[in-house]
Amino acid sequence: MKDNFSSAKDGAVTDAKISARNVQVFYGDNHAIKDVDVDIEDKTVTAFIGPSGCGKSTFLRCINRMNDTIDVCRVQGDIRIDGEDIYDRKVDPVQLRAKVGMVFQKPNPFPKSIYDNVAYGPRIHGLASTKAELDDIVEQALRRGAIWDEVKDRLAAPGTGLSGGQQQRLCIARAIATEPEVLLMDEPCSALDPIATAQVEELIDELRRNYSVVIVTHSMQQAARVSQKTAFFHLGNLVEFGDTDKIFTSPEDPRTESYITGRIG
Amino acid sequence: MTDLTNAPTGAAPRRFGSLLEESPRTKRRNAAEKRFRIYGMCAVGVGLIFLAALLFAIVRNGIPAFTQTYMTVQVELLAEKLDKNGNRDIDDIKKVSTFGYNPLIDTALEKAVAQAGIETEITRGKDLRDMLSSGAAAQIRDVVIANPELIGSVQDFTVLTSSRVDGYMKGRVDRESLARDPNLSPAHLDIVDGLVANGAIDRVFNLAFITGADASESRPEQAGMGVAILGSFFMMLVVLVLSLPIGVAASIYLEEFAPQNAFTDFIEVNISNLAAVPSIVFGILGLAVFIQFAHLPQSAPIVGGLTLTLMTLPTIVISTRASLKSVPPSIRDAALGVGASKMQSVFHHVLPLAMPGILTGTIIGLAQALGETAPLLLIGMVGYIATNYPEGVASGFLDPNSAMPAQIFEWAKRADPAYYERAWGGIIILLVFLLTMNLIAILLRRRFERRW
Repeated sequence: MKDNFSSAKDGAVTDAKISARNVQVFYGDNHAIKDVDVDIEDKTVTAFIGPSGCGKSTFLRCINRMNDTIDVCRVQGDIRIDGEDIYDRKVDPVQLRAKVGMVFQKPNPFPKSIYDNVAYGPRIHGLASTKAELDDIVEQALRRGAIWDEVKDRLAAPGTGLSGGQQQRLCIARAIATEPEVLLMDEPCSALDPIATAQVEELIDELRRNYSVVIVTHSMQQAARVSQKTAFFHLGNLVEFGDTDKIFTSPEDPRTESYITGRIG
Repeated sequence: MTDLTNAPTGAAPRRFGSLLEESPRTKRRNAAEKRFRIYGMCAVGVGLIFLAALLFAIVRNGIPAFTQTYMTVQVELLAEKLDKNGNRDIDDIKKVSTFGYNPLIDTALEKAVAQAGIETEITRGKDLRDMLSSGAAAQIRDVVIANPELIGSVQDFTVLTSSRVDGYMKGRVDRESLARDPNLSPAHLDIVDGLVANGAIDRVFNLAFITGADASESRPEQAGMGVAILGSFFMMLVVLVLSLPIGVAASIYLEEFAPQNAFTDFIEVNISNLAAVPSIVFGILGLAVFIQFAHLPQSAPIVGGLTLTLMTLPTIVISTRASLKSVPPSIRDAALGVGASKMQSVFHHVLPLAMPGILTGTIIGLAQALGETAPLLLIGMVGYIATNYPEGVASGFLDPNSAMPAQIFEWAKRADPAYYERAWGGIIILLVFLLTMNLIAILLRRRFERRW
């Protein structure tokens, strides 16, 4: 219902979870993101598509300030989550990243047990006071990560021993164990086979009920399958942003049309 | 285009001949590869030959140091010589110096020779005593002072023979070489032969070489590595306690936290350069800073340890940084992504993964420091005769001592061939320590890596 409501107003959302205004990103002298304005809604899957090097991952990493770890990277402009400027001097990026979880392109479980992988976030954020509570959080996260049934008998086994698709779902479980409000996914399926991809996509659709999900993807089919909103980036510009159906059926910008029909990219 | 149009007509020469025969180009390539393999094998072979030669030389020259010739003598501890007042007062007994014991030994030797039925022109006990170490009297005196009730009885003592007799037993000395030697005459060797047949003189395992203290130039038979081993031990303790935390902390800061700017670049270049600085430079630095400026005691293991710490730090920093670098960045991303702070991501995830590399680097750095001699030259740990065991831990750090490589260098300098043998023996002990440390490094590495 909410989707219909916000799309009816066509971009002029007032209840945006994340709103970016006039965002510029520089890598040294390279102007990687130019004037991006976007509003991302709560409980929606938003897909970022575009050719390689167009800045979609860079922009995604601005949302939880992962770009801070890159020395030469500078971010200008305004990104607000729930109305709060995340680049404010007072914001601790560590606290921000607990609220904005992230799943990376390559599955990167810690070389620890499956249990410890998921329990690490809750532990460092003090989400559980007893072992039983922690066990519960881990189980819930693994269940929501759609991997519980596969690993419940070997929680002490190393997370790195799982298959690629399982590892990625473990990473998703790890990301949601800290109860974030926004989940960023940077090409989460690019290292997975079609079956694992289908599982992860199904999972993303589930996650929409609780989170605002932002996913970067190279696969336009995937964007069409999982997202409600799509943003098309090209050469650092946000070319078009709107309902996924509309972007894929009747894009306004000729560049978007060329890209989704396979003429550029 | 011409290629394309010509190809179907079959007029162009075929690029590939039969696959069953090598083309000249392939032949050349294969020959080059074969030559390269042969060069490689030659290089490895030469290395192995030298290693074998080294090991053979060390074992052949060093093993004799681990046995020593002893003589068992029956000494009558005459009361009128050792306790003239007859009241068994320990202070009076202590007044009798080793010279007071010599006549007793002389008599005992005369008896032993007579008992063995050896015919010899050497009749005076004083001359017979040349066969024994000059430390023999001190050894007997120590026993008597510890047990004054033995005075008046006849006791068996197993005492060191002189280094010439020991050399004769090991084949280092023969009658010909003794003809020019003022210390012992060939006639003594006839007596030695007789006493060996008698069972009084025997060559046994020399524990004192490993545990004992160094001795003066004239008594190589008494010299041991023990005190120098302790000196090295205290030095390594200082090196480990200082260089591991400082080195690892510096590396973590430089690798994970420090901003990339001209200053950190400058530090980085300097650390790499420090690793290549000759160790004697660190020695003179230690002399200037720790002894002349800070007035720490000379020849003390604490100064040696501090100097070697300076030398070891670059090695540890470089290997630690390399192992931190080898931890995949995706692990750091993963930790930061779930909201860990920079420090949590380093200490919870990066450091445990880098641990095997850090430990290996540290132990290799320590092993290098253990074998280092040049800096010790300048802070006075070479040339010091390490005759005293440290009396406790504080004394172990602060009192003058030597170190294993310094002790070996010291022995190698001395004129007596018996010391030459001991220098080789010392090398064996040093190598055993180094091999043990490397073994520990390997075991630790495997233990930490086996977890996943």
